Amino acid sequence: MIGAEAGQDGGADLRCGRRMAVRRGGTAMTAALILAGQVYLWAGAAVAALFLTWGIGRVEPHARGSYLFRPLLVPGCVLIWPLVLWRWRALEQGRDAGCARHRPPRVAQVRIGVALAVLVPLILGLGLVIRQDGPRERPPALLEAAQ
Amino acid sequence: MAAKEPPFFIGWGKMPAALRDFTIGIGLGLVVLLALAGFMVAATQNDPGDGAVLGGAAAVGVLEAAPYPVLHVTDSESFAAGTALLLSGVGKRGVEDRAGSLDGKLVAVKGVRLARGEIEGVQVSPGADGMVEADGAAARPVAADLGRWRITGEICDGKCLNGAMRPGTGLAHKACANLCLIGGAPPVFVATGRVDGAEFFLLGNADGGPVTQEVLDHTAVLVEAEGRVERRGGIHVFLIDPASVRLAR
Amino acid sequence: MSVRYVPVQWNRIKWVYDGLLVAGVLAYLVAFLQIGAGMADATRPVDGAILRMRAFGSCAFFLLTVILCIGPLARLDRRFLPLLYNRRHFGVVTFAVALTHAAYVLGWYFAYAPTPPVAALLSSNTSYGTALGFPFEALGAFALVVLALLAATSHDFWLSFLTAPVWKALHLMIYPAYAALVAHVALGYLQDVDNPAFAILFGGGALAVAGLHAAAALEGRREARSAGTWVAVCAPGEIADKRARIVRLPDGDRAAVFRNGARVSAISNACAHQNGPLGEGRIVFGCVTCPWHGYQYRMEDGCSPPPFTEKVPTYNLRLRDGVIEIDARANAPGTPVPPLDVAGMI
Repeated sequence: MIGAEAGQDGGADLRCGRRMAVRRGGTAMTAALILAGQVYLWAGAAVAALFLTWGIGRVEPHARGSYLFRPLLVPGCVLIWPLVLWRWRALEQGRDAGCARHRPPRVAQVRIGVALAVLVPLILGLGLVIRQDGPRERPPALLEAAQ
Repeated sequence: MAAKEPPFFIGWGKMPAALRDFTIGIGLGLVVLLALAGFMVAATQNDPGDGAVLGGAAAVGVLEAAPYPVLHVTDSESFAAGTALLLSGVGKRGVEDRAGSLDGKLVAVKGVRLARGEIEGVQVSPGADGMVEADGAAARPVAADLGRWRITGEICDGKCLNGAMRPGTGLAHKACANLCLIGGAPPVFVATGRVDGAEFFLLGNADGGPVTQEVLDHTAVLVEAEGRVERRGGIHVFLIDPASVRLAR
Repeated sequence: MSVRYVPVQWNRIKWVYDGLLVAGVLAYLVAFLQIGAGMADATRPVDGAILRMRAFGSCAFFLLTVILCIGPLARLDRRFLPLLYNRRHFGVVTFAVALTHAAYVLGWYFAYAPTPPVAALLSSNTSYGTALGFPFEALGAFALVVLALLAATSHDFWLSFLTAPVWKALHLMIYPAYAALVAHVALGYLQDVDNPAFAILFGGGALAVAGLHAAAALEGRREARSAGTWVAVCAPGEIADKRARIVRLPDGDRAAVFRNGARVSAISNACAHQNGPLGEGRIVFGCVTCPWHGYQYRMEDGCSPPPFTEKVPTYNLRLRDGVIEIDARANAPGTPVPPLDVAGMI
């Protein structure tokens, strides 16, 4: 799968640098992923700055006048800022969750627990089945004599 | 009924004595179990082999640039004449760019010696004196064709295998090995049997150049590969056909 | 239960808990790096960086294994509840250990190359189509990101702000993360190591997590279901004094019907803090007390006693033919409901 590009430039140029060039800076997909991650985290940093200095006191009465714990919330804001914005908006509009606060995802938890109970032995089994314990000493086979 | 039930635990309150003893017992038991697990995992690690970084070294010899730069030693205090040195750069890099113009010439190399079993290598110093043309002339060793072979073994990066990392083989090291190969470090085929007395082979492509990217999908596991084997002075070269590489069963 | 948020609400149990936790991590690392590593069979010693990435990586796996055993253990045997009390600190410590492992991996296997470390991690091995040689680093990276997410949202503020159900749903990601972690080890180190001791310890830990979750799921199946607007609970005498009977209502919600002497009241079974099972708690100092973190509520209106402000929904009750019946429609959190007088029926 990786060799497709290599076949094209391989014949003309025998330099390793050319043959592996596509991979030196990482693949295009990798670059896109890293850029997306960086954009997401920078957006999170902006949300964190805004929420922790201004928004938090508006929507969380217990946070008013309490500053020491706010730095602890920075990583969380940066990582889940879309959820922060969603809850911030709901609380600003006075839509508290009411009884919904008391409906834990109990069924989902049991199902995920059962899925884990099934999946873990399967993964362990796969790991043991694919293990290569040999061949440790296989003599080479001569296919064509020296010219 | 109340007597049979465990005492009620409130985190901010005083813990009932029976529950406290049970909890402390579990906690201390976990500490002991963790210590035992740590010891067992550490004490049962695989032997990483004898590859090692052996300090500074210098050599003069004939440089052969393809498939990867190799120095055939003619004169050195560290190596016997005739030894073939796999050359690599600092970090996960090769020295192809520096070696290209010196192909077939007598070259003086300075750097750090890497060795494992019967393979020797030098991590070439980054400075200007790391690799320079030397006075004099010498002929490159004549390549002896040993035929076309199917060999079982592992494709490693010759730098880590040679002692730059210990262990420098295996699946946990696969991505690192690929990174070395992408950077231009010489790949080495570690065979499960010998051809012409050799079990380590410098790997190249069937066209005589460096390996192609397909090889990256086959590193760090036991594979079968087909290709011509050549003896070039003190080293054996395995010029594989990438399409022939498959998982060894 | 704070009136105002502080970085960490310390108490004696948390100090002891964290002390034992740190002792466990140090015991593992010292036993690994200082004692065990020297006794391994080695022509020349393993690189220091590789040794430490193995020590921290395996330590994080075993810590997460213990963490995931605590939930089902506490469900099966209430004596394990104190381990659940401060489990979030356990998670944060585990994240720190896992992050150290990742730092060694990035700083050794993926450094010193023309490709930048993170790009190298994601692109140097792309054999996603095969199990043997699969880029298991990606699985570890996923587990690490989840651990980071959970550690970063472990403060009580997040429970209140996101609401407990959303917080819990977020924290359920620990399950896929654990599956990914098991695969990370199974497709990585397990493939390389020849001595079966590691496979036994690793497999034993992972199977313990799987087995305990299966057992806890079976335990939970024994609960009765109900239908209709008014749901029969039981005769008042069947509820022990200062305890509750948990009822599963037709819409799936659970209510806890408490008896305090001759008075019976019903509140939501889900604590306002982390949705802990209030019905498994007791009445202490006249208040319903959550078995997880000790949050308290008055049974007649579902409110925490001042100065605290937490509230849970309440339920209306009635007596029919000597049996308590509960109205399946919850009242808004904090709604007062006069207790049912069951004097003479106990």
